[in-house]
Amino acid sequence: MAEKNLPKINPIDRPFWQGAAEGKFMLQHCRTCGKLQFFPRAVCTGCFSAELDWTAARGEGKVHSFTWVFVPRNPAFKGEVPICYANVLLDESVIVESRIVGKGVEEIKLGDRVRVVFQDTSDPQIKLPVFELAGRS
Amino acid sequence: MRRKKVCFVGYGSTEYSRKSEEPLLRHYARAIGAALEQTGLKKTDIGGFSVTTQSSPDYSPHVAEQLGLELDWVLNGDYGGAGGVMSIRRAADAIEAGHIDVAVLVGGNSFDKSVTHQRPLEYQRANYVDVYGYGGPNTLMALVQRRHMEQYGTTLEQIGRIAVAQRESARANPQALLREPMTMDDYLKSRMISDPIRLFDCVMPCSGAECVVLASEERARTITDKLVYLLTDAERVHYQVGDMLPDKTTFGIKVVADRLFKEVRREEIDLFEIYDDYPIAVLIQIEDLGYCKKGDGGKFVESRNLSFKGDFPVNTGGGQLSVGQAGLAGGFLHIVEALRQLRGEAGPRQAKKAERALVTGIGWLSYGRNLGTTAGLVMERRS
Ligand SMILES: [Zn+2]
Repeated sequence: MAEKNLPKINPIDRPFWQGAAEGKFMLQHCRTCGKLQFFPRAVCTGCFSAELDWTAARGEGKVHSFTWVFVPRNPAFKGEVPICYANVLLDESVIVESRIVGKGVEEIKLGDRVRVVFQDTSDPQIKLPVFELAGRS
Repeated sequence: MRRKKVCFVGYGSTEYSRKSEEPLLRHYARAIGAALEQTGLKKTDIGGFSVTTQSSPDYSPHVAEQLGLELDWVLNGDYGGAGGVMSIRRAADAIEAGHIDVAVLVGGNSFDKSVTHQRPLEYQRANYVDVYGYGGPNTLMALVQRRHMEQYGTTLEQIGRIAVAQRESARANPQALLREPMTMDDYLKSRMISDPIRLFDCVMPCSGAECVVLASEERARTITDKLVYLLTDAERVHYQVGDMLPDKTTFGIKVVADRLFKEVRREEIDLFEIYDDYPIAVLIQIEDLGYCKKGDGGKFVESRNLSFKGDFPVNTGGGQLSVGQAGLAGGFLHIVEALRQLRGEAGPRQAKKAERALVTGIGWLSYGRNLGTTAGLVMERRS
């Protein structure tokens, strides 16, 4: 039976997943030019600096776009369709790809406020950040 | 032949070690950074970019996504130990042709075998996309389509006009796998795949191949009297890739169009062979090409006849949406269709006026944005 995908954590993005396990959504911050970026990369996309540290986002933002996935690529997700897959604009002005879950999601619309929550996965060490509509739980 | 106009202006290296565990991308960045420092050039001065490696498909654009590079020319510098010299030859061609002023060519190795740098796209997708149960490109393009619909009021009926018109053209193309009639109702009622993307928004994978032959003008005259010239061409790899608040509804085709239409006027184009992985991608490209204002693509396609008989013929053989998508050969389908039309060999789907054709290509969806690679060319029939 197919299993849901887990991230293949590597030296670059380990701090992100450590943060997630502690309930924080971590962004990379460039110590040279100050830029925030996501997903985690080896260097700053603004200035090439490898002097990157991490900062916790507030974990809130708004729905920039979304789609209802009826045909997921991995059949392990089939039992959960339609899946609300979305782009979220974090309040820190960074776009992320994620999933919206929980109460009221059937009525989701662009601009709705969302808040990060962390889901358990099949690996007790790994928690997956997803979003819920704010103020509906 | 003797090169005349291309110079080496700088270089950069990293320290060497027997078995560095540091990510390869950081080695690349350090070598490039050293070269930039030596030359006094900025990251944004880099027009062309090549990575020499035993690379996976699209490796250079994937590395560029990670490094935040927006480029006008890109190359996977394969070819083993000849990759360095061969990258330089190809970059020199691009500089002599005037496509770019500055090319940065890099190659390296690291013993850090994590997916981050061995396969940069796989890392991005595996850790930040696949984990959410996405549905492949259908899902990523659905995010673009929803944004366009909500931001500009674009309707499914407007987007569907592209699919329906292409099917009408396909009915006169024996190569097309999908030739049965398609109505707007068929389009709207087709099965939902990744809302708002429906089955008839998606291309059907198929088998097949296409080939094109280029020659110098002198040689061309000895081969055929149907001379079709490559008039102008441009590419853009990544648009807003370093911008954490990208405009999802504008493609790099906008930059490509600025270059193409310096050499030819928009109204001189007779045929539009526009890469159609999805109707919404065609609609957005029509906007980015400047045939209407951003956001007015829906109204534009509503007001024009898009079939091969029409006043704005788009994908005159039915495009990939009706012919089928033979993998990445799909990019050649549009080029060969343009050649058939310009040479007057399109049979029952021959367009009335076919002197100049515009062809585009777009490839792979990057994280949170839209297309990674975009390109275009204009060809012209001269007798
Ligand atoms: Zn920086």
